[in-house]
Amino acid sequence: MSKWKPLEKMKILGKKYPRIDGAEKVTGRARYTYDQFKEGMLYGAILGSRYPAAKIVKIDDSMVWSLPGVKAVLTDVHPTGRVRYVGEEIAAVAATTPEILGEALRLFRVEYEKLPFTLYLEEAMKDEAPRVFPRRSNVNKPRIREEGNVEQGFAQAEVVLEDTFRTQVQIQTPLESHGSMVYWDGDELIIYDSTQAVHGVREGIAKMLDMPLHKVRVICHHMGGGFGSKLQPGIYTVIAARLAKQANAPVRLMLDRQLEFLTTGNRPDSLSRIKMGAKRDGTITAFFAKTYGTAGIGNGAGVRLPIVYSIPNVRHEHHDVYTNAGAARPFRAPGCPQASFAMEQMMDEMAEKLGMDPLQFRLKNDSNPTRQKEWMIGAERFGWHRRKVTPASDPGPIKRGMGLGASIWWPGGRGTKASMKIYSDGSVEVFCGTQDLGTGTRTHIAAVAAEELGLELKQIKVHIGDSNYPRSGASGGSTTSPSVAPAIKNTAEKARQELGKILAEHWNVSPEAIIFSDGYVIASGEAKQRLSWKEACGLLETDVLEVHGEWSEGLSSSGVAGCQFAEVEVDTDTGKIRVLRIVAVADCGLILDRLTTESQVNGGIIQGISYALFEERLFDPQTGAMVNPNFETYKIVGTMETPEIEVILFDEPERGVIGIGEPPTIPTSGAIANAVYNAIGVRIKSLPMTPDKVLQALANQKA
Amino acid sequence: MTTSIRFLLNDQEMDMTVPPGLLVLDLLRHHLEKTGTKEGCKEGDCGACTVLLGELTDSGMHYRPVTSCLLPAGEIHGKHLVTVEGLNLNHLTIVQEAIVNEGATQCGFCTPAIVVSLTYGLMEKGANFDDEDVKYVLSGHLCRCTGYASLLRAGKLIQQKAHSLTPSATQSENILQLIEKGILPSYFSEVPEKLKRMASIPPGNGHLPSAKFIAGGTDIYVQEGESLPDLAVTLLNLFPEMKGIVQKGKNLHIGALTTFEEFAAHPLIQKAIPRIKDYMLLNASLQVRNRATIGGNIVNASPIADMVILLLALNAELILTETSPTQKDKPMRRIRLRNFYKGYKKLDKSPTELVKEIVFSIPEPDEQIHFEKVSKRRHLDIASVNSAIRISLKDNIINQIHLSMGGVAPIPLYLSQTCDYLSGKELNLSNIQEAMEIAQTEISPISDIRGSAEYKRLLSRNLFIAHFCELFPDQFSLKDLLNIHG
Repeated sequence: MSKWKPLEKMKILGKKYPRIDGAEKVTGRARYTYDQFKEGMLYGAILGSRYPAAKIVKIDDSMVWSLPGVKAVLTDVHPTGRVRYVGEEIAAVAATTPEILGEALRLFRVEYEKLPFTLYLEEAMKDEAPRVFPRRSNVNKPRIREEGNVEQGFAQAEVVLEDTFRTQVQIQTPLESHGSMVYWDGDELIIYDSTQAVHGVREGIAKMLDMPLHKVRVICHHMGGGFGSKLQPGIYTVIAARLAKQANAPVRLMLDRQLEFLTTGNRPDSLSRIKMGAKRDGTITAFFAKTYGTAGIGNGAGVRLPIVYSIPNVRHEHHDVYTNAGAARPFRAPGCPQASFAMEQMMDEMAEKLGMDPLQFRLKNDSNPTRQKEWMIGAERFGWHRRKVTPASDPGPIKRGMGLGASIWWPGGRGTKASMKIYSDGSVEVFCGTQDLGTGTRTHIAAVAAEELGLELKQIKVHIGDSNYPRSGASGGSTTSPSVAPAIKNTAEKARQELGKILAEHWNVSPEAIIFSDGYVIASGEAKQRLSWKEACGLLETDVLEVHGEWSEGLSSSGVAGCQFAEVEVDTDTGKIRVLRIVAVADCGLILDRLTTESQVNGGIIQGISYALFEERLFDPQTGAMVNPNFETYKIVGTMETPEIEVILFDEPERGVIGIGEPPTIPTSGAIANAVYNAIGVRIKSLPMTPDKVLQALANQKA
Repeated sequence: MTTSIRFLLNDQEMDMTVPPGLLVLDLLRHHLEKTGTKEGCKEGDCGACTVLLGELTDSGMHYRPVTSCLLPAGEIHGKHLVTVEGLNLNHLTIVQEAIVNEGATQCGFCTPAIVVSLTYGLMEKGANFDDEDVKYVLSGHLCRCTGYASLLRAGKLIQQKAHSLTPSATQSENILQLIEKGILPSYFSEVPEKLKRMASIPPGNGHLPSAKFIAGGTDIYVQEGESLPDLAVTLLNLFPEMKGIVQKGKNLHIGALTTFEEFAAHPLIQKAIPRIKDYMLLNASLQVRNRATIGGNIVNASPIADMVILLLALNAELILTETSPTQKDKPMRRIRLRNFYKGYKKLDKSPTELVKEIVFSIPEPDEQIHFEKVSKRRHLDIASVNSAIRISLKDNIINQIHLSMGGVAPIPLYLSQTCDYLSGKELNLSNIQEAMEIAQTEISPISDIRGSAEYKRLLSRNLFIAHFCELFPDQFSLKDLLNIHG
């Protein structure tokens, strides 16, 4: 397969163009799972456990059935009857209208045997804490990573620093909640699902229902955000399928906002105890970290320390800790924002101790050649030289400060298959079993196909979001673009070759002489023949040209650098932090569409601000219930808190396509924390950086 | 219980029988399959279900954005309900085009409602639609892909296009221009005539069918939303005589159904409380302020309600009226707002009594008013602690003072002992210091999700200081004031 054309020869890729499904979205015509209807459809709802730890003794559904409109009830939803968090699924109901679902759920009579529970990381680590799983300690065995020799590393160090950082549990909360609309067509199950993985859901649900794969079909035309929480098959889908079978009717089951908060994943919290040593010249010699995190009843609370910087001697011990809360799921750059918040502050503390500028200290310990350039571009654009050397030197109660942090991400993608049909009237269809989370995948597919065929975006009809289409992986971990784009290029190239053969025969030239450009097919060289795309396709007559392609090596890669600079304002009377400005430099190899790429970077930064300042899951210690499972009290950033943001895209087209979703959200909280320190001279070592923590820290400093 | 409603849905005349308490969001999505209006939270917090509600007024049509998840269907009778489908043309409108071209739609779930709100911005401001307006109309929308930066850029594009409009004072003039320029569908011009034709006696007029009162619905639908469609309810907004603001002598009388937005926009209020617009922006989203009523806020009795804290410091009075037919002979009753709260969510009010009016005296030229609040987010967040003051001086002696504080007790608190102490005292550092200590004995904050008890005490001190710092900057240097608690 051939490589990507040089950027300057590209007609579409690397440029800025609007998404092809934009019109559907702004007119309200884009139909999400939440919008799927079918004749006779019922509405489903799930009853979640009221207690964080309990045995379900009995579920009486007789009163539920007495409610007119109730058509199906399940009381055997939970496999063991031993619930471990509030909201865990125990029963379900389907009814003719959504208005009666609330009443139906209230009519379940559930007898619980309450058990002791534990909610918070450090509480759950204590010996006397109730065990989440009776036969396992709450504190998991450590995962240990070791490089070099830390003892020697610390022995070489001239300055050693120790500090502790904490981050909170953050919830993905996509605006469209999790859920499915399902119906049975004979013994085949059709599922509309709000998912990041149509193929993955098909495989998972088929297994859970013990069905052959070909009898399960999963469709997702549009979905209202996932951020990692919709990568897996949902219990709600299984429940909907069972309700639909029982009632012999289609069922739509979308989680309400509260269950969405409780049961569909989160970013684990973290406690990081760090020790770092450096030489006077600014070389970091050793890094030791002991970290803990809770993923509720699940695992995967790792903290990816030391993030970004090159340190020869590293030891990192991590323990996952169980608590009575919903299991974590991947959330945009799993394990990284937690690590970055701690690491970037450690870096600044060390730089201060060494009397170095924080940027110079980073340049000294950053081995990534791309980021070396990006640091300089960003610093210049941001005006880093204007940063105050002495923290808290502004007069008056409102103080400004500047800080910085670095991005990183690793995975590439592979494995996608695709197909293409070209018809005799010139119309082109691409089929790929990937899905568009809003990142622009549908548009990128059209762009790659159009670029290869010398057509315009609007000439490509893209079909995605259906498990009947050629297999593609889950859209997560910034793997979609590097996985999908090469497969589409490969498929289009095959189509071009096939069509080229027909034209070569028609013109009696060699297939190598056929060129596809600007809506024409041209025989180059002496023959100098030319047909419009439509005329050329007319040679197919009644035939349809159909080709299959797949991901191939050399068109994509992995590894992203990037950096961010933040300026903040802190009101020392009220403790409020306001982010004034962010400058971000981001790279992702060959940029498919500058507009969707910029949107991703902007979104990552603003989500990072939200993580830094507002979002936090909070429990009632008495009952174990989450006290803020709603947007009124679980605060997410809005337009009023959105600062001035400048995104600088750093082109490296020679590296091929790389995903950009995760990295921009990683460094924001650490950059803001460093800026806060620069403003007020006190470090906030725990997220979110709320006014109470700022005031407390200022008060402690005075005392 | 059902009621018959006639209304305009976009360009369509509708005649339906519905439970009056049914949510318009459910009506649209489940009964009419209008799925451009999205369900995000069903609590008025995300804005994904925003629609426009148009009413025929003396000066023509007037539209407001509201969240359909808190809007009872019984109330849209005789009105024009506009969803995104009703804004669509054969081509993309300038609002839609700007969003697409700036990449301001990602997953797209929040987008249709944002189109509705930005279009409202154009209808309201026309040629004068500016950056602040864009932020203002978008402030009640959550976008979890957090495309706000692109949305603000889209707002700039819309403004550029709007510059070709002729500045005009009213929504209806703007609407005509927008139709002419192909920005709004032409059926909008026929709406006033259609509504006039449809006008009939509002259902429930003349009697109150039930003591389950719903005013703006912004609290009650969040608290009891699921049960309301099944209940017999009285939609108070069908009784417009309880709306409006009038001056009677030295007092302002506020109809209990006056919305937050109407309150803040009223010239009499702006004269009485010059910074009311700033305070409002800290309050709820535009969609919620367009629905939430002053009376409803008072009766909801949240200990942290911004409006109630402000009214307490204004030393407002309530006029209550008995609605029960058996007690119709009872006269109307007046009570000071500060005496209305008897405990957490306990009111000096019978179940059939209604708050009819709120009355407060117009501030004299020597009186000053100030409101302060601290919360996690700058805007649209519920306060950790809030506080308001109304004060007048005579020769640096405190003539009259009213102080209130929220989030520090089971009720919205009037600091009566603090006021008593300061009344007649000289305005100086030591008296304020002493007053602050008294205030500390009056408050009893508890630790909750908005902060620990200690933090709220710290905040209450800082807000207390902030009042004097803000109102008397010449008399108190910040340093002095900070030393008070330093």
